[in-house]
Amino acid sequence: MKLIDIIKSANSNLLRNKGRTFLTILAIFIGSFTIIATSAIRTGVNGYIDKQMDSAGGEGYIEIMPQAFQEIMQSVMSFGSNGPTEYDPDKNSTEMTIISADDMKKIAEIDGVESVKGARMVEAEYVTSDKTDKKYLISPHALPSTRINIDIAEGRLININSHTPEINLQPGYATVLGYASDADIIGQTIQLAIVEQATMKIQLVEAKVVGVLNKSIINMGRSWINESLQDDILDVLYAGMPSSYRDMTMLATAEWDTSLGDDGLDRIKDDLEELGFVGTTINDQVGMIKTFFDAIILVFTIFGGIALLAASIGIINTLFMAVQERTREIGLMKAMGLGKGKIFMMFSIEAISLGFWGSALGVGVAYLAKAIINPLAANTFLKDLPGFNLMEFDILLLVYLVALVMLIAFLAGTLPARRAARKDPIEALRYE
Amino acid sequence: MSSRSVIAAKNLTKIYGKKSSAVKALNGIDLEIQRGETVAIIGKSGSGKSTLMHILALLDSQTAGRVEIGGQSTTRLKMRQINRLRNRRFGFVFQQFFMNARDTVLNNVMLPLKIAGVRKSERKRRAMEALEIVELTAKAKMRANDLSGGEKQRVCIARALINNPAIIFADEPTGNLDSATSQAVEDLLFDLNKKKDITLIIVTHDADLAARCDRQLYIKDGKIISNVADDNKGKRAARDENHTFRPGAMRKTVGLSHKRSAGQGGRIL
Repeated sequence: MKLIDIIKSANSNLLRNKGRTFLTILAIFIGSFTIIATSAIRTGVNGYIDKQMDSAGGEGYIEIMPQAFQEIMQSVMSFGSNGPTEYDPDKNSTEMTIISADDMKKIAEIDGVESVKGARMVEAEYVTSDKTDKKYLISPHALPSTRINIDIAEGRLININSHTPEINLQPGYATVLGYASDADIIGQTIQLAIVEQATMKIQLVEAKVVGVLNKSIINMGRSWINESLQDDILDVLYAGMPSSYRDMTMLATAEWDTSLGDDGLDRIKDDLEELGFVGTTINDQVGMIKTFFDAIILVFTIFGGIALLAASIGIINTLFMAVQERTREIGLMKAMGLGKGKIFMMFSIEAISLGFWGSALGVGVAYLAKAIINPLAANTFLKDLPGFNLMEFDILLLVYLVALVMLIAFLAGTLPARRAARKDPIEALRYE
Repeated sequence: MSSRSVIAAKNLTKIYGKKSSAVKALNGIDLEIQRGETVAIIGKSGSGKSTLMHILALLDSQTAGRVEIGGQSTTRLKMRQINRLRNRRFGFVFQQFFMNARDTVLNNVMLPLKIAGVRKSERKRRAMEALEIVELTAKAKMRANDLSGGEKQRVCIARALINNPAIIFADEPTGNLDSATSQAVEDLLFDLNKKKDITLIIVTHDADLAARCDRQLYIKDGKIISNVADDNKGKRAARDENHTFRPGAMRKTVGLSHKRSAGQGGRIL
């Protein structure tokens, strides 16, 4: 029997019991679709993050945090499940949780570090302008490094070293602050309300808008300010307090010589660790987000896998029934000289076909879902993240998945196929 | 051995089970069938007649002895070669038809050629030829299930002869048919035998059908108890002289002859 005839027979056999075949395919479809859809979301999200990362360029600087501080963060994150930890002055003292001027010097001396800058906690109560009475929350942040490629929608990036207090606003502020468009707010002065920590009095600090940002996950909702504006804000925040308060640093940013490559970066991180600090690049941070996201995706993929496992039991069941029903036919074909191998192949191909149609249906419906969900997402919760396609297909991955499901189906089919191949034609044709 | 020997059995023995529970289904069968001969295998159920046919048709294997096809022993043949032999040289007709009821008549007839790996256009051409012989070309596109019993058996005959077999094995070919239809199916089989020189080996209860055969083999307890060449047939009588008659097998049981004489259209044994 020719292969093409075996394939045709297998498929026409599947059509003999359409209901049963459909249900089996449906089960395979559910598993396949779950995996395809989640992997598409993973590809979409990771693709967007990577795109953002590429445009952010963010490998040129390292955020530095004291290890002790990180440990405190971790103990908070563990919800105290680790129980009480004994105090260790070398690890847990308050002194260890800040970066001193001496530390800054040591960091600057690390081979490969080009410059280091302390980041200070900057907080604004609200933002307002002369054109409105309304007040809006804002998250001003000193730009840690010019090595980040900031995506500017209108105007220009702040000049870090300028003596004019400058700000890059998040999109949307221009209109709420009383300007017709992003272009209109460029060059205008707005007011940031800062609370004196000692007295809780509010003072307004002026800032010149030089640019409006594009929405991006890299900015994380922050409006970037230059050092001049940061100084003005700190002056208000810590008014009447000792200067040591003002200069207290918990986070530093170092720029490094990127020509040293990943090895150089790893060495710098090691050196930082020796000094009692943790260095993370933006890639590390995004990597953590990705790891977390991947864990969620993994859970869904496992669900899909379980569904596929259940479906493959369905395949076994379907084919056992088919073998049972077609006992006579198998016997007849064997009597007419069809070999064991061909019979095995026929039922295996039935199983593989079930796998193929189930997973192909999964791919088809996933494409349909993409066509519906992507525009829907883009218009709702991803509205502010242009270029973010929630679902993206990796064609090669789809091909692999379909092939994998076919393989699983084949393996499931081997049991009934073997039973069919072993049928004794005399037994099969015995008529009671 | 005659050069026209198409199939022969030498001391064929089949034992089911082991040791204490062993049952001898066939006990030293010697047999030679000539090309173009028609042979009826007759016996009670459990006599071993089905086992004999199965072993002759290479569907089952013997415990001892051998089967020769065209003078060649089949003992050492590989499964592949046996499958090929069955596919090319044998045709099968069963009492219960065994067709794909939902498939078309044409597809049912083509099945042996499909198994042989013949290409589709050729399959179709030869299937239509076979259907022409059984006079069912008009129903080629119908579902097998929609045919009458007689038509179904004619389709099965078409299927059995599509590969131009040397032998057609028929297991109770008229067992499921009324007498008029039986007659037509029998006529068809014997006509094929005459025109195409196809050897017929028929397992049957039907005395009429058995009587139409050149030779009747009566099987009891795994032995041939009577190997009767019907001299009245004339045409093949000369050849039949060579047939291996077992000395003890010639005795006819009273019951047997009684039942044979008992009925035109009745059933023996």
